[in-house]
Amino acid sequence: MIRHVLLFTGYELKKTFSNPIWPLFSILQPVLYLLMFAPLLKSLTPGGTTAEALRMFTPASMMMIAVFGSLFSGFGLIADLRNGSLERHAVSPAWRPALVLGRVARDMATLVVQAVLVLVVAVLMGVRIGVAELLLLLLLMAATGLFASSLSQGLALTVRDENGMSQTLNLFMLPVMLLAGLFIPISFAPGWMQAVAPVNPLYHAVEAGRALFAGRLSDSSIPISFAVFIALAALTTMWSMRSLRRIAG
Amino acid sequence: MIIHAQELRKTFTTRNRKGATTVEAVRGVDLDVERGQIFGVLGPNGAGKTTTIRILATLIAPDAGTAVVAGHDLREEPAAVRARLGYVSQAGGVEDTTTARAQVVMAARIHGVPDPKGAAADVLARFDLSEVADRPGRTLSGGQKRRVSIALGLVHGPPLLFLDEPTTGLDPQNRANLWDRIRELRDAGTSVLLSTHYLDEADALCDRLVIVDHGRVVAEGTPGELKREVSGDVVTLRLDETARAAETLKPYARETRVDGDALRVYVDDGEHTLPVLLRALEEQGIGLSSIALDRSTLDDVFLAKTGRSLRDAGAAA
Repeated sequence: MIRHVLLFTGYELKKTFSNPIWPLFSILQPVLYLLMFAPLLKSLTPGGTTAEALRMFTPASMMMIAVFGSLFSGFGLIADLRNGSLERHAVSPAWRPALVLGRVARDMATLVVQAVLVLVVAVLMGVRIGVAELLLLLLLMAATGLFASSLSQGLALTVRDENGMSQTLNLFMLPVMLLAGLFIPISFAPGWMQAVAPVNPLYHAVEAGRALFAGRLSDSSIPISFAVFIALAALTTMWSMRSLRRIAG
Repeated sequence: MIIHAQELRKTFTTRNRKGATTVEAVRGVDLDVERGQIFGVLGPNGAGKTTTIRILATLIAPDAGTAVVAGHDLREEPAAVRARLGYVSQAGGVEDTTTARAQVVMAARIHGVPDPKGAAADVLARFDLSEVADRPGRTLSGGQKRRVSIALGLVHGPPLLFLDEPTTGLDPQNRANLWDRIRELRDAGTSVLLSTHYLDEADALCDRLVIVDHGRVVAEGTPGELKREVSGDVVTLRLDETARAAETLKPYARETRVDGDALRVYVDDGEHTLPVLLRALEEQGIGLSSIALDRSTLDDVFLAKTGRSLRDAGAAA
């Protein structure tokens, strides 16, 4: 079982990094946000300095790659449904959940590499974070990535069509992004948005990320976000594994 | 016996706004495949060929029926069946972005082949793919891709190989080449179950076959047996008054059949009956625009069993 998951993880990673241009592109986005968006936020932050703005925005950009980077990975699965390779693997001695779990594990590994690269840029720009906070942040990103990636695999196996998949993702992405306070903290938002935001799981992750960068290890948002994302990740992972039955009884 | 299937059934239900529609894809299929045979499943599109193969490959659970595949029960031991099977789907299963070699090596690893790289190199060489093995799947030609997909199914040396419509979309040279490869496999001791909607393919390649239509087996035998069952020769006539001609020729034929604008007359000895038929038509004053004499084909078998030509059935599905 574990052997097959590792086998598929390695295979998928090799596939991803055989053309390193694409994973590079996907980390470029958060880096560009750091470079070009954070300075814009200067006037909104209490201290009014770029460093302050970065401390608010870096955690948001980390969560952004965790969720949105992994949400699109299901497209690869649709391609493999179409070319028949998924079906081929289903008629092999491979433990079937490994077909999905290998992809999810690949996304999480990619995510760690991306997170480290973004952090290096942020540190170079003057952001500081403690070791314990850093580890917690990476763990939270991993849980978030696990949730997003397995959601994407499950969605791909259910929708099975690139157009339907991109429409579905677009429908949910914008409200989730805005209601998480990714760009501008929710505390600037009107009352009704502040009331709705806690329903959005990403809101908790962003809040926890900001608490970690601010060194507030006892902040309640940290355990809340971990609980929310571990539960969600467990659900979506189960779902993606079950969705595989649709292609293989 | 490498496949022994009894009474396989599968009904699909699709739901949409108009409500649920059910399709009985497979309605009681029996299959007995001897070891070392190329066994064909011939039928028009939508006859249930692919569903039958997918059931036998453990991809779909049948609603009813039992099957023993490669020595293991389909329901009880699906994993054992999968380990002894090479499965090549209609889509082929070749990934676009990865090299052929990487995909074959991965397939070997999944099957726990002792030397995955060596086994992959061997099977790729066997299918003349060594030179293109390090190119990504999307750059391969149709024929090369097809051979890669078979190499993927054979790298672990399974005793039984499933080929679902293996030559669909291939040009004549590639088809002939692939037929030779499939015969080589049989000669090396691999049993092959293949589905096809090409009459000539079933005729030329299969040791034994079943003809399926609407989810049922309508005929089974060797290609020779099946054709003898219908009749030796078939005279195809195109003429002005098909119905009256059919009446006129009935006494001389084993069977007459109207197929579109053509009249098909089944006779035992075409060479000697032809002049007799022509004389009878002339006496009745029926104008003739063309005439052809052929050995009967599997299409005539299909026509005799279902009342339709396989070509028309394929177009209608």
